[in-house]
Amino acid sequence: MWTGIMVPLRQELMVTLILFLLLFIKVGASEYRTGTILRLVNILLLANLVLGFFPCPDATLFNGMFHTGRLIVLEKNILNLGTLIVSLLAYDWLKEHRQALEFYMLLLATLTGFFFMISSGNLLMFYLGLELSTIPLTALSGFDLEKKQSSEAALKFIISSAFSSALLLFGISLLYGATGSLGFDAIPRRLDGSAFQLFAFILLLSGFAFKISVVPFHLWTADVYEGSPVAVTAYLSVISKGAVFFIFIQALYTVFRPLAGNWNRMLILLSVLTMLTGNLFALRQNNLKRLLAFSSITQSGFILAGITGSSRAGDASVIYFILIYIFSNLGAFGVVSLISAQTGRENIDDYKGLYAANPLLSWVMAISLFSLAGIPPTAGFFGKFFLLMAGAGRGNYVFIGIAALNMVIALYYYLRVIKAIFMDSQPQPIGKLKIPLLPNIAFGLCVAGILVTGVMGWVYDYIYSLSIGF
Amino acid sequence: MGSSSLIVLFFAGVAFAAGGIAAARFFVKGTKNRQKGEAYECGIPTSGTPWNQFSIGYYLYALIFLIFDVELVFMYPWAVAVRRIGMPALVEIVIFLFILFMGFLYAHKKGALKWM
Repeated sequence: MWTGIMVPLRQELMVTLILFLLLFIKVGASEYRTGTILRLVNILLLANLVLGFFPCPDATLFNGMFHTGRLIVLEKNILNLGTLIVSLLAYDWLKEHRQALEFYMLLLATLTGFFFMISSGNLLMFYLGLELSTIPLTALSGFDLEKKQSSEAALKFIISSAFSSALLLFGISLLYGATGSLGFDAIPRRLDGSAFQLFAFILLLSGFAFKISVVPFHLWTADVYEGSPVAVTAYLSVISKGAVFFIFIQALYTVFRPLAGNWNRMLILLSVLTMLTGNLFALRQNNLKRLLAFSSITQSGFILAGITGSSRAGDASVIYFILIYIFSNLGAFGVVSLISAQTGRENIDDYKGLYAANPLLSWVMAISLFSLAGIPPTAGFFGKFFLLMAGAGRGNYVFIGIAALNMVIALYYYLRVIKAIFMDSQPQPIGKLKIPLLPNIAFGLCVAGILVTGVMGWVYDYIYSLSIGF
Repeated sequence: MGSSSLIVLFFAGVAFAAGGIAAARFFVKGTKNRQKGEAYECGIPTSGTPWNQFSIGYYLYALIFLIFDVELVFMYPWAVAVRRIGMPALVEIVIFLFILFMGFLYAHKKGALKWM
């Protein structure tokens, strides 16, 4: 009986185990060295990542509340990889922090929440997973204890999350009223596209849109990203967003398949709005974290464009893009995090002349930004290419044209940062920075991921072979 | 019927709320005086400013109370079902209590139970 539960749940159990190990250390040990603990945690997270690659049978547990399969395990592996990179990048900031252990406890609690959310087979389980991840995330965004901005970010985040949860719960309750069920397998059989059901769906969609910062619901993003510690911002923009996208696309493609004609048009509209607004606001930012926040809004728009394809290629391209997005965004955030931790400077003007003293950091930043912009040799190009191909599968060529135009606009602000780093100069450039071993490993992973993932065709083929669509 | 009824409902809702507020604006003649701001037959008169600082220790007690509260609320349905389910239920409640106990230990270690 126990192995039947343990094997499908192994990733969640492993994360919980690490969490409790840290709690034991915190409660039991009177003295510990933060540096040692940080190295230990990173080794454990690596073990967690490796554990995910062992084969896992398809399983449904707890009366259909929890289900898992190869696609879901793959998605969890992607999240594990991202968490490991975030953790490696956070080393420089955490080794000075008094509460590094708590940071990891909260981080792993959110990860468990995301795992349960992705695996959920029932709207209640989905909601529980979402809340399990949202509440620790709020605490995390207020983790720079000395900074007022960080508390402000936490407050804004919890208020907007509470609001989105309320919308989501209202949608869930209306959907329950309309279909008489909360299970993902029973709902689609009773969906007929009546106005009442559509209303419930729109509320659910708004709840999702908050989490993935799609445009009418994006206003919290920039402030929260700017105020939070950089490692947390990176986590928010990549892991949190990726996890919600995974469950969002699953819900659209399986649970709300009968409403496909309706959500397709909604998503096209939201996607255009998101790309345009994100881009236009990003153009005028000077703080690099804010710029990356708006760039992440724009990327959400592109991912929505892939979802509208509603084919297997759509699903595959979204998962593939998120994998690449993890590498490219974490590379960029890693550089920002390192420079912010050592010098406290975050503006684009501060980066002028960075290349003279820190060529390695400059190149990592440049490659990541090229990948975010979608310049051909990097993986970002292939990610965007597949997304737009999937979106074009339904013949929405005008829409795809707008998306392509937005890629050109985005190029401007990414190149502005690169120009500041390589070409401009300033009276007090950032001096030579020391890069510790762990962030160095993370940079290596990111750059390798960006340069290699696009060229290796089997990655996309493997994801495609597991994807769902219609 | 159909989606048009929803739109009608939406605008009717907005009109109902906005209409009430607008009507109050037009017809009510507002006067302000000291007596109006006081608590009428409910509670004692206020003294001092509400903006002074008070200790956050109060909330910590509330949070720790919540640990035990949730624990007990959860144990009632468990106690009803435990005979029928048997051994697995016992193991699961031990795990549950263990997790909560760890939370309590953490709070204790942090000094949340010391009155400041």
